[in-house]
Amino acid sequence: MSDPQQDLNRDLKQLIIDALGLEDISVQDIDDQQTLFGEGLGLDSVDALELGLAIQKRYGIKIDADAKDTRNHFSNVATLAAFVTARQAA
Amino acid sequence: MRATRQSATLQGLCSESSPRQGSPTGREVTSTVITFDISQWRAWAPGLQTPDDWQSWADHDLHPCAAEQVPDVSFLPAMQRRRLSPLARMAFAVGWPLAEGCEPMPLVFVSRHGETPRTFSILSDLAAQQPLSPTQFSLSVHNAVIGLWSILRGETCEMTALAAAGDGFEQGLLEAAALLREGAPAVLLIIAEEQPPSVYGPWIDDVPFGYALALRLTPGRQWQLALGHPSSPDAPRPALPHALSWLQATLGGARSLSHTWNRRTWNWQRQP
Repeated sequence: MSDPQQDLNRDLKQLIIDALGLEDISVQDIDDQQTLFGEGLGLDSVDALELGLAIQKRYGIKIDADAKDTRNHFSNVATLAAFVTARQAA
Repeated sequence: MRATRQSATLQGLCSESSPRQGSPTGREVTSTVITFDISQWRAWAPGLQTPDDWQSWADHDLHPCAAEQVPDVSFLPAMQRRRLSPLARMAFAVGWPLAEGCEPMPLVFVSRHGETPRTFSILSDLAAQQPLSPTQFSLSVHNAVIGLWSILRGETCEMTALAAAGDGFEQGLLEAAALLREGAPAVLLIIAEEQPPSVYGPWIDDVPFGYALALRLTPGRQWQLALGHPSSPDAPRPALPHALSWLQATLGGARSLSHTWNRRTWNWQRQP
C-alpha cells in the first residue's frame, strides 16, 4: 500500500533532480533528512530560487521568499513535504 | 609597408599606421597588422573531436552529421557541469585541455549569436506570461560562459566576451593580440556557436552546425593577420564560418588566406 507521505517525499526528490539538472543523482540518493543547501546535497542560492519556482508551479502554492520561516521549510525533503502539505490544506 | 616599424613593434601586437591628425573619424586608417604564434589548438563539432578527425574533415570536405550534439565534459564534477548549456559545454571542451597545466591566462570568448536556446526559452516564458527560470535568466547573458570558466577554474585573469559580426574570429584575435601586447605570456581564444532554435532560421545563416575552436596564443611571428579593405565591392564571403574556414585552410597546408566580411578583409599569412 502506498503511503501518501512517502509518495510526496519521492515526488519532491524527483522535482529537485529534474528542476536542478542533477545528472548523476537518483531519488534513492537523497535522504529525507539530508540538508539540501550548502552542506549535504550542496545546492546554492540559484537552486533555491529555481526549486521555489518549481514547487509553486507543481503544487499551486505561493511561497514568500522574504518570509522568515521560508529558510526552515527548505532545510530538507521532510520539511519541504510538511510545508507543501500545510499549504495545500490551507 | 614600413618593414622597420613592423620588426620593431610587432610581437603579437596591433599596429595602426593611421594619420590621426586631421582624421577624426579614423577613416584613413590604412592597415592593422598583428602577429602571434599558435602554440596549441582544439576544435569540436558533432562527430569531430580529435585533430585526426579534423584532418580528415579538411581533406574530404565532410559535413559533420553525428548524432551527439553536445561534447563530453565529464572531466567536470556533475554538480558543476549541470548548468552548462551546449554552448558552454563546447567552449569548455575545447578550452579546458589548452588551459590545463598552464599558468592562468587571459581568456577571450567570442560568440556571434550566444545562448540562443536559453534566450528563446526565456522569451517564450515571457510571451506565455510565465515566471522566468532563475537559472536560465542568470546564465543568459553573453559573459555567462567566462563567468562559469572563472568560477570552475578558480581563475581571476582578465576575461572578455565578444559578440562581433561574422568576422568575430578575427576580431577576437585582435583583442587577444592587444592582451599579448600588454604583457600576457599567453592568451586563450575560444570561438563557439551553437545551433540556434529553428525559429531563428530566417535570420541566422552562418551556423551550419554547432562548433567551437580554441587557440592558445603566444607572442611571436608565426602568423600575421592584416586588416584591409575588400579588393572589390562584391568580394564573396567564405563558405564556412571564419574559424572553420581558417582551420580547413590551415590543415590543408595553406600559407595565406583572405576572409571578407562586409567592408573588412582579413589577410592571413603564415611564415614558412
